[in-house]
Amino acid sequence: MSSLFGALSIATGALGAEQGAMDATTNNVANANTPGYSRLRPVLIESNPVVENSVTYGEGVTLQKLESVRDPILQLRIQDETQQQGQLNAFVSAMQQAQVQFTSSSSDIGSQISNFFSSLSQLSTDPTNLSLRQGVLTAAGNLATVFNNTSDSLTQQQTNTDLSVSQDVQQVNTLTGQIATLNTQISQLQGVGQDASAFVDQRDVLIGQLSGLIDVSTIQSDNGLTLTTSNGSPLVVGGQSFALSTQTNASGLQDVYSQGVDITAKLTSGQLGGSIEVRDQKIPALVSSLDTLAAGLANALNTANKTGFDLNGNPGGNLFVPPPVSGKGAAANLAVQITDPALIAASSDGSAGSNGNVAVLSAVQNQAVAGGQTPTDYYSSIVFSVGNDVSNGSAELTSSQLVLNQLQDQRGSISGVNLNEEAANMVQYQRAYDAAANVVTTINDMLFTVINMSTLTT
Amino acid sequence: MSSIRVNPYPMPDLLAALEQLQRQQTNATLELATGSSINKPSDDPAGAAQIIKINDLSSQVDSFQRSINSISSQFSTADSTLNSVVTVLQRAISLGVEGANGTLSDADRAAAAAEVTGIQSQLLSLANTSYQGQYIFAGTATTQPFIVDPTQPSGVRYVGNTGTNDVTIGTGYQLQVNVPGSQIFTGTGSDMFLAINDLITSLNSNAGIGAAVTELGTAYSYVTGQRVFYGNALNQTQSQQTYLNTETLSLSQQLNAVGGANIADVASQLVNDQTAQTATLEAIGKASQSSLFDYLK
Repeated sequence: MSSLFGALSIATGALGAEQGAMDATTNNVANANTPGYSRLRPVLIESNPVVENSVTYGEGVTLQKLESVRDPILQLRIQDETQQQGQLNAFVSAMQQAQVQFTSSSSDIGSQISNFFSSLSQLSTDPTNLSLRQGVLTAAGNLATVFNNTSDSLTQQQTNTDLSVSQDVQQVNTLTGQIATLNTQISQLQGVGQDASAFVDQRDVLIGQLSGLIDVSTIQSDNGLTLTTSNGSPLVVGGQSFALSTQTNASGLQDVYSQGVDITAKLTSGQLGGSIEVRDQKIPALVSSLDTLAAGLANALNTANKTGFDLNGNPGGNLFVPPPVSGKGAAANLAVQITDPALIAASSDGSAGSNGNVAVLSAVQNQAVAGGQTPTDYYSSIVFSVGNDVSNGSAELTSSQLVLNQLQDQRGSISGVNLNEEAANMVQYQRAYDAAANVVTTINDMLFTVINMSTLTT
Repeated sequence: MSSIRVNPYPMPDLLAALEQLQRQQTNATLELATGSSINKPSDDPAGAAQIIKINDLSSQVDSFQRSINSISSQFSTADSTLNSVVTVLQRAISLGVEGANGTLSDADRAAAAAEVTGIQSQLLSLANTSYQGQYIFAGTATTQPFIVDPTQPSGVRYVGNTGTNDVTIGTGYQLQVNVPGSQIFTGTGSDMFLAINDLITSLNSNAGIGAAVTELGTAYSYVTGQRVFYGNALNQTQSQQTYLNTETLSLSQQLNAVGGANIADVASQLVNDQTAQTATLEAIGKASQSSLFDYLK
C-alpha cells in the first residue's frame, strides 16, 4: 500500500533530480566558451519500483550522474591531424624562409651566373681592354659573393630551426608534466567512482597542444593513460612523465634524446618533426646542391682559364680559389683567386690581343658542370625543388587545416554547448521543478487533511 | 535526441575562411603590382625554373647584341680605313700612269715621286690604324703592326702576327672579326708597300715605271678584294642583329606566357574576394548574437 510520505519522498526526489539537471545546464552555459569543454548531460533514471500484491508503485526519479558527452575516437583523430598540421606548419614556415634565397631577382645566383658569362662575352670583343677584364673579375666576385650569402643564410636558418627544436622539447616536457599530474587526479577520482570529466577535458586540451609539437600515440589502459612517441619512447605513463632531453651533435645541432636514446630521426610529426626535417634534411640538401654547383662551376672555369694565356703571355692559372675536393663548403667559401685583371687568360696563343680562350671560358656556360647539367639548368632545378617543397607543403597544410576544421566541427556538434538547447533544457527542468514543488505542496495539504481528521471526528 | 546537432561554434570556420580570402587578396594585389604571377618559387615551381632559363637566354641574347654593336664599330673603322687605302692607291696609280708618259720632265717626275712618297707614309699610317687602343690590322698582336725598316725591299716590315679572333654573336655562331695586316697589305705578289716603293724608285730613275704601275694595280685589286671581308662581316652582323631582335621579342613573350599575370582575371578575382570578405565579415558580426535565452520572459 502506498503512503503519503512515500509520495512526498518521490516528489522531493524529483526536486533533487531536476536541481541536479539544472546544475548541468548551468555548468554548460558557464563553460560555453571554454576551449575543450565537453557538455554535461544529466542521466535521469526511473527509481526501482515497489511491488505490493498486484500493484507496482513507481518510486520516482533518480539522477544517476552527470556525464560528459565526448567521442574518444574522434578525439584521437583530432590528435593525429593536429600532429600532421604541426609538422606541416613548421615545415612550410621554415621552407618559406629558405625559398626567399631562391626568389628570382636581379642579384640571385641565376642572374649572377648570366652576368658573369655576359662579361666574358664583352671581353671577347676587345680582349686587351683592361676595364672589360676588370668587368669579368667584378662579375666573378659578385658570383662568389652571392654563393657565399645564399649558403650563409641557409646555415643561419638551420641554426634558427635548431633553436626552435630546443624550445619545442622544453614545451613538450612542460606539457607531459602537466598531463601526468592530471592523470593522477583523474585516476584518484575514478578510483572512488567519481566523475573526472573536468580533468579529462583539460587533459584533452593539453594532449592537443602536445600533438601540435610531437608525434603522440595514446594508449588507454586500466591504470590510466599512456602517451608515447610513435616509435614507442615513453612520454607519460600514468602519473609519471618522461622528459626528453637535447644533446649537441657533431654538427653543433641539438639531437633529441629519450631515456638516453637518440630519437631525433624518428620524430616525424608535430612541429618537432617538421623542424627536424627542414634542419637535418632539406637545408643540408640545399647547401650541398649549392656546393656542387659552386665547385663544378669554379673547377670548370679554372680548367678553362689554365688552357689559355694571360695578357702578359704567361699560361693562365686559377680564376677561383680551388674548392675543396669533397665540395663541402664550396658555396660558402667560393672566392676569386686573382686580383689583377691582366691574369684572365683570354689569349689562346700567348699573343696579347688573342681572344681565343675566352670562347673556352664561355663554353663552360653550356657544359655539364654539376649533376650532368649546365650551371643555369642545375640552378633552376634547385629553385624548382625548393618551390615544389613549399608548394606541396602549403597544399597539404591547407587540406590538413580543412580536415582539422571538419573534425573540430564534428567535435563541436557532439560536445559543444548549444545555448538554445541549454535554454530549452532550463525551461524544461524549471517547469518540472515547479511541478514537483506543487506536488509537495499538494501532499502537504493532504497530510494536513489527514492530521486534522481526528479533530473532525471528535 | 534523434536530429544531428550542429556545431555551435562557427567562429573557427568563419575565421579560417576569412584568412583564406585575405591571403588570396594579398597574392592578387602582389600579382597586380608586379605584373607577374610568379613572385616566389612556390607560386609555380616549374614556371619559376623555366623563368630562370628564359632569363639566362635573354641575357645571352643581350650579350650577343652588345658584342655585335662593339664589333660593328670595329668593322666600320676597318672598312673605312681600307676605303681610304684604296683611294690613295688609286691616286698613286694615276701618278704612275702620268709618270710613265714619256713627255713628263724630270722635275715633274720628281714631284710625282715626292707625292707618292707622301702616299707611302699615308698608307703606313692607315695600316697602323687603331680602334680603342687596339691596332686593327695587327692580327692578335698588340704592337704597332707596320714599322719603317730600310733593310726591307718594301721599306716596311710587318711585326704583327697572323692571328685572328672570333666573336660569338649567336648560339654556336662565331664570326671572324679581323684579318691580319700581313694578309691584307703584304701578300706575296701583291705587297702594297713593295709596289709603292718600286714606283718611287722607278719614278726617280725613270725606268720600269710601267711595270711598277702594273705591280701597284695588282696590289690595289688585292686590297679591294680583302675589303670585301669587312663588308660581308657588317652584313652578317646586321642580319644577326635582326634575328636577335625577334629572339628577344620571342623570349619576352615566353616569359609573359610562363609568368605574366593575367591582369583581367586577377583584378576580377580580387573584386570577388573583396565581396566574399565583406559578406563573411557581416556573417561573423551577426553570428549567434541571439539565443533562446533572449526570449525567456
